[in-house]
Amino acid sequence: MNAAAEAEDLAIGDTLADARAKAGLLQVHAADPLADDAALRRLALWATRYTPAVALWGEESGADGLFLDITGASHLFGGEEKLLDDLAHRLARFGLPARLAIAETAGTAWALARFHPSPSVILPAGQESEALSPLPVAALRLLPETRTTLRRLGFKRIGALIDRPRAPFAARFEKELLRRLDQALGHAPEPLAPIVPPPVYHSLRYLLEPVFIQEAVVAIATRLMRDIVHALVRDGVGARSLRLALYRVDGKVKTIDIGLTRPTRSPDHVARLIDLKLDRMTETLDAGFGFEALGLAVTVAERMDARQTELSSLSEAAGDAGTTDERCAKLVDSLRQRLGPRCVRWLAPVASHLPERAETRCAEASSWPAPDEARPRPLLLFARAEPADNVTALVPEGPPRRFRWRSVMHGVARAQGPERIAGEWWRNTQAPTRDYYLVEDEAGRRFWLYREGLFGRETALPRWFVHGLFA
Amino acid sequence: MPPVPLPGRRRAETVEKLRRLLPRLERVSAGTSVLPFGLPALDAHLPQGGLVRGALHEIAPRASADTPAAFGLLAALLTLPALTSDRPVLLVGDIADHGRVYGHGLRGFGLDPSRLILVETKNDKQALWAMEEALRSRVPVAVAGTIDKLDLKTSQRLHLAAGDAGLPLLLLRPAKTAHASAAATRWRVGSAEAARDRFGLIARWRWKVSLERCRNGRPGEWLVEFDHGAHRFSLAAPLADPALSRGRYAPLVKRAG
Repeated sequence: MNAAAEAEDLAIGDTLADARAKAGLLQVHAADPLADDAALRRLALWATRYTPAVALWGEESGADGLFLDITGASHLFGGEEKLLDDLAHRLARFGLPARLAIAETAGTAWALARFHPSPSVILPAGQESEALSPLPVAALRLLPETRTTLRRLGFKRIGALIDRPRAPFAARFEKELLRRLDQALGHAPEPLAPIVPPPVYHSLRYLLEPVFIQEAVVAIATRLMRDIVHALVRDGVGARSLRLALYRVDGKVKTIDIGLTRPTRSPDHVARLIDLKLDRMTETLDAGFGFEALGLAVTVAERMDARQTELSSLSEAAGDAGTTDERCAKLVDSLRQRLGPRCVRWLAPVASHLPERAETRCAEASSWPAPDEARPRPLLLFARAEPADNVTALVPEGPPRRFRWRSVMHGVARAQGPERIAGEWWRNTQAPTRDYYLVEDEAGRRFWLYREGLFGRETALPRWFVHGLFA
Repeated sequence: MPPVPLPGRRRAETVEKLRRLLPRLERVSAGTSVLPFGLPALDAHLPQGGLVRGALHEIAPRASADTPAAFGLLAALLTLPALTSDRPVLLVGDIADHGRVYGHGLRGFGLDPSRLILVETKNDKQALWAMEEALRSRVPVAVAGTIDKLDLKTSQRLHLAAGDAGLPLLLLRPAKTAHASAAATRWRVGSAEAARDRFGLIARWRWKVSLERCRNGRPGEWLVEFDHGAHRFSLAAPLADPALSRGRYAPLVKRAG
């Protein structure tokens, strides 16, 4: 309900006819809870500029607000009052009327935000029960049935519930009532479910003037990483995954995720990766009126040996870093950052008889078995075998004498084979057997051909395919 | 500056000095690290006694259908003992139109796929960036790649990057390549009948390899064999196949023998 609606004496739960009768002219729109939810989520993301732990109000809390856990974050703004002022000011600038409250517990803060006469309240610690006493029982976030029962029994204010013997309430009501009361008073914990898991290592910087250019963003990100490095060193860990949040002046938040192959603590390395990513994002990243704040968070941290860091810090000074593995990881990181994470891969063997299934491309190097000299494999393999037609063979189960592939006839000078590879019957009973031949044509080009199906047993007319090319 | 007339003795000294300076300017000197083929006939033909390490080398097939052979020579070079270490090899780009690099094939060829980092790129611009980045990092022991279009300026840039890093950059080029480029060498590879053992099985891969362009060197042509078991190049022996001692390869083969 906004002020205009209140002025017309409308109430939530009125029928449309009543509302029309009261207000006269009324535009009606269907409720769009999904869009509301999305908008609230956007706001929550924006609010991570104050603290990484931001939780949406759930169903039972009305689903129309946010909890911000500002424990340990308020000093960054010069105290709770200043933080609240800043928040109110910025929300007003977005055109969002807001009711704000700071209290020791989430329950009390909710109650004050909803029912306190002032739109912005700061409750000093320890005054929860005094503050809650005059408020109606609805301020405890109770189910409608519980509220109705309480009203019938004559309990209108929370004060009437505080410090009463608990046993009768416990017997009469669901556990909910006492739980909510305890949570509001801080006797029971109320876990919040933050929209993004709060990172352990986090650094945030507010800028006096918004920044637009890539160099500035990278420079600030480097400083943020330097701030985090101390904590990383203290805990003996390195960052495996980072998230840079760019807070735009108009309240939109852009996030940039950075993955690393090996844990790192090097601000320069992180800065370079961010730079590469920004290079790639130039089209999609819209700075708008600039970014007013930047936050860098380590989303995944991994153990990193102290010896390693000393080595890398020494060699970084020399401009050349660490062991081959570390430097290789750095190279892979920067390539992935610029080209995309799936663009840098290794070949990995797969236990399968079928040549096309026998290997895959994966994100890490894996060891290969020794090659089988008796089973030559081509250097280049077609992902999908290409059909060869006009194949003539002396005998139906013999090697080909001539074949046409990609509209060129090839006369076979020599053939080596066959190597018989049966279909994977545990996967597909219909898969025919293949006979592979290493075939050399008259020009000396070498092909890997196969005949699909055993002549006479599986098929009357076997088909031929070119599956690979030898050097 | 106008040329200063020099007396006879000074002149000889100056020429000598310039002679020493010239290779330095051209980035070739006695100290340049080279990558020998291990094949006396070829190594003696090349001005530095092998492929210069810090340089761009182009390998192109004679015809598009010879691309596997050209890729074979590239892969064979990567397996040379001089390039065998625990450092990785980068392959930037994919072999268009002729299938995908197959790990089991490379393994059989003597190149361990776990050392090979495949970098897939969407266009030549990305591929060039990736190659330069890899060279600058000096992590890989060699960088190989495929590039469709390469102008003189870009090739100079790559050549310099390879020179600064002291790493060989092997480029697989399309068959139509004829443009000027800054590459130290350009090789043309054609398919040739493989050398077989007495059971008729392929014993050594064989290619018609010609040196088309070579900085400070002469072109040449050889029938090269590669033994993937021993990682060794050799020249086709004239006695192994009498057909080879006839025809255009005969004199070269004899000289080598």
